[in-house]
Amino acid sequence: MTSIRKNKVFMGLLYILVFLLLSEWLRPVIELTETGHHGLFLVFVALGLIMAFFDIPWWVTAPLKLIYILWFIVYVYTGNLFFTAESLAFVMEQASVSLSALFTQDWQQTTDAFRTVLFFALLWMAIYLIHYWVSFRLSIFLFYLLTVIFIAVLDTFSPYSGDAAIVRIMVIGLLLAGLLHLARWMEHHAASAKTEKLLVFSIPLLMLLVASTALAFYLPKAEPIWPDPVPYITSYSGQGGVGQGGVGRIGYGVDDSQLGGSFVSDDTTVFRAEVEEGQYWKVEVKDVYTTKGWELSEEDAQQQLYQNGDEVATDFPPAGDERSSALVDMQLSFPFVLYPYGTASFLMEETLDYRYDPIQQRFDTLQENAAFEPDVYEVFYSEPSFSLTALRETDVAELADLPPEYDRYLQLPDELPERVGELAEEIATGSDTVYGQAQAVERYFGTNGFEYSQSDIAVPAEEQDYVDQFLFETQRGYCDNFSTSMVVLLRSLDIPARWVKGFNEGEVIDTVDGYDVYEVTNNNAHSWVEAYMPGVGWMMFEPTIGFTGASSIDFDLEIDTSEPEEEEMPDRPDPEPEAQPEQPDSGTGADAEPTTGEQFLAFVSEQAGKLIAATIALLLLALALFKIRKKWMPKVLIPYYRRKEADAETFEKAYLRLLKQLELYGIKRAPGQTLRSYAQYVDSFFGTKEMTELTAAYEKSVYGGDAQSVDWPKLKESWENLINRTSG
Amino acid sequence: MEATERLGKVIDNIEKVIIGKREIAELSLVALLSHGHVLLEDVPGVGKTMLVRALAKSVGADFKRIQFTPDLLPSDVVGVSIYNPKDMQFHFRPGPIMGNIVLADEINRTSPKTQSALLEAMEEASVTTDGVTMQIPKPFFVMATQNPIEYEGTYPLPEAQLDRFLLRVKMGYPTREEEIEVLTRSQPIPPIEELESVLTLEELLKLQEEVRTIRVDDTIRTYIVELATQTRRDPYVYLGVSPRGSIALMKAAQAYAMLKGRNYVTPDDIQYLAKFVFGHRIMLRSEARYDGITAEELTERIIAKTRVPVQRLVNQ
Repeated sequence: MTSIRKNKVFMGLLYILVFLLLSEWLRPVIELTETGHHGLFLVFVALGLIMAFFDIPWWVTAPLKLIYILWFIVYVYTGNLFFTAESLAFVMEQASVSLSALFTQDWQQTTDAFRTVLFFALLWMAIYLIHYWVSFRLSIFLFYLLTVIFIAVLDTFSPYSGDAAIVRIMVIGLLLAGLLHLARWMEHHAASAKTEKLLVFSIPLLMLLVASTALAFYLPKAEPIWPDPVPYITSYSGQGGVGQGGVGRIGYGVDDSQLGGSFVSDDTTVFRAEVEEGQYWKVEVKDVYTTKGWELSEEDAQQQLYQNGDEVATDFPPAGDERSSALVDMQLSFPFVLYPYGTASFLMEETLDYRYDPIQQRFDTLQENAAFEPDVYEVFYSEPSFSLTALRETDVAELADLPPEYDRYLQLPDELPERVGELAEEIATGSDTVYGQAQAVERYFGTNGFEYSQSDIAVPAEEQDYVDQFLFETQRGYCDNFSTSMVVLLRSLDIPARWVKGFNEGEVIDTVDGYDVYEVTNNNAHSWVEAYMPGVGWMMFEPTIGFTGASSIDFDLEIDTSEPEEEEMPDRPDPEPEAQPEQPDSGTGADAEPTTGEQFLAFVSEQAGKLIAATIALLLLALALFKIRKKWMPKVLIPYYRRKEADAETFEKAYLRLLKQLELYGIKRAPGQTLRSYAQYVDSFFGTKEMTELTAAYEKSVYGGDAQSVDWPKLKESWENLINRTSG
Repeated sequence: MEATERLGKVIDNIEKVIIGKREIAELSLVALLSHGHVLLEDVPGVGKTMLVRALAKSVGADFKRIQFTPDLLPSDVVGVSIYNPKDMQFHFRPGPIMGNIVLADEINRTSPKTQSALLEAMEEASVTTDGVTMQIPKPFFVMATQNPIEYEGTYPLPEAQLDRFLLRVKMGYPTREEEIEVLTRSQPIPPIEELESVLTLEELLKLQEEVRTIRVDDTIRTYIVELATQTRRDPYVYLGVSPRGSIALMKAAQAYAMLKGRNYVTPDDIQYLAKFVFGHRIMLRSEARYDGITAEELTERIIAKTRVPVQRLVNQ
């Protein structure tokens, strides 16, 4: 019988597979670090594996590998194909520089050549480890798993595409693992390792692998179930934070071109505002919808420059002459000011310019043409009010005659699915005014099963439209989903509309001289809608369910007030004055009261993350308890059996329990071992006589059918003594 | 337990004569108690005859000995009818088989015809000659011996007939110290002459009845059947243990339990007796012989891997 390890053909095959697996590691590393000479590294790996395969002693392999590394450095860094005096001098110089850098801990000073050597050392180590796994342990699973994780992580977080690599790895790894399992199996059963016999086993393995791979390759594949985790992770790690000029995924980040995905709450305070009344704070608008998100068409149209105190001109002129003032105390730094609707002017201690771009509608703060980040400023405003009479006269026909500068607010991507437009028409049916249509769209979300949630939000796939996905497939999202969808729906109805980013009112934390102090955090980052009402002007809309922002309406109708008030108040389906807008539940109180079952399901789906985490934690805890059960079981068992009725049945149960405990303790009973011989062994192990005593009683009870003879109260002490010993 | 004490006395008695063979004495007694017979397999001169005589004397039984030779006839064993000219009648003269304890020495030396006459008598506990059936007096216990060394001119017993023996026992040589003790004891007068009976035949018959009442739990029965089944399945085995073998094991275990002072059988009894009961009932394939495995070793292997019942059966 020859050992399988001595079958050179078989082992050779294993080493070839190992080489392929290692090269899968090497490829992304080389690619991502933009290192050249991929082939030469592979040669090194092959060299190492071949020498390991032939069991060449270390005092041959080590110098050979060192010479190869040296040659690599000479060849790559000096271009010499052979060792020349000059190239050796180069090597010496590199070594001295790197070593001195190393000793002075000046890591930056180490040379590329030195890093190459380190990389080679790493490869060397990897080769050795794998050689050990394959030749001695006959097991590769750990390495295989690590390879899969490694490639999956690289594929997810780096530009490296592991699409093909992961398939290759699966095939190579499964084959390798299968063959090694076969090797272990044959060794375990001392089967002879003739090549023919190996073939008999490995050919079905190969066939199975080929069949399953082919099947997996040709079968249709489902789209990913989970959203791309990268935005989630980056937002969690704070990389999408305000300091970088963007508030996660919902605020006014510079880049809104890829909307969607979940985000994590972040209660970093952005600013505090002393105001008479809570209101939305606008930052900027965007006008181009790209099927995935928002972009700006022209960044710098005719920009206006204002000074402190200058009356500014926005699309929302202040109402009347009375001005409210708001004191804004920024906690985070931005090179612009946040402003409420109806802003008239700004005031700041510093002398500076407010640059207003009518397209982007953002007030950039500049000091000597450089971006300036204001600390505290005062803004004077008067919230505009809209006449209901005028709104009721907004004629749909007028939309056709709008001047061309409104065209940009009617832009829609060509790829937009037709059903979005059809839905818009459907929603608008029955409303004959522009305002009525806009309101219909705004209210649509509250009554059609849409759900507010920040977690588990889909990201549109390559060919999918963000709005289409939300409206027809997921119906679940946060402000970006609602606001973007409303803009697109309005534009489908030829109503000019744009997407606004900013913050909502925040939370009252204090009251100073009749002014409320609102604290606005990153959680309050928000987006909403502005639409143009012919003959009235721009007006804000709030489609996101659960949010209370609204334009102020002047109820100047000459009819009975009670009825229209009910109807015209652009209120939310479930207005909660102190509603935490970011709380998902606040939006769910739609018209139809959900049943208990639905509520439960909703709860489960909202808390899915926590539930899963809790389940996993519980399972882990249970597993841990199970693992250490021999420690704590006696403490439970003794009182349990003490309390139980003192009869033969209890005794028998207790005895069997003791057997289990002893097994856990490590005293195993062979299947063919009788209780008596086991008892003798246990007693000789512990130096007791109790197990034999208990066993005799047990035998009498079970085999002798003489349960009455059992004197459990008397035996209990022996039993407890033994049980206690097992916990040690 | 009274029975145990008495049986203990018998064994002690035998031990006075046969040094260091307590196990054999016990097994013989087990067979005697469960109406079985023993096949002793060993070389001559290790005390086989002495053992049987000691046993016979201890229980006050009638001892007979048949030396089997190739020319022995069945009538030499069972007896013959002789014509008496006085009353002009045939009178049956019982053969040596008509005893309580019979030693059948070198049973494989005689022709199959004579062997089968003996084995038939063992099985039926009666003999039939000239159409007349005669009961052999009770208790009836045959201890047959067989010399495993000499095969020349022997007639090995067929497997079916081996099955008639409850136990097959190998005697083995005594140890050094035991042998010295044997020499010492037999110096003045052989101890067998002084042996007195410690049990009457009536008491023995009563004990034989009592053995049947020893409890065999369902778990034990299952265990016996499981062991027997395993022998039939083993790849080394050509012919496994028959149901008669299972019955034999149970009966032997009952007697053994009584000997050990218990009124119930434990798995230990089964494990201990299995190799004596199964050993001659298993026919091995030639592969087993090549691998040097004997039926006893095989039985031990099966015991080692068969799960011992430790829990009360619930649904039976």
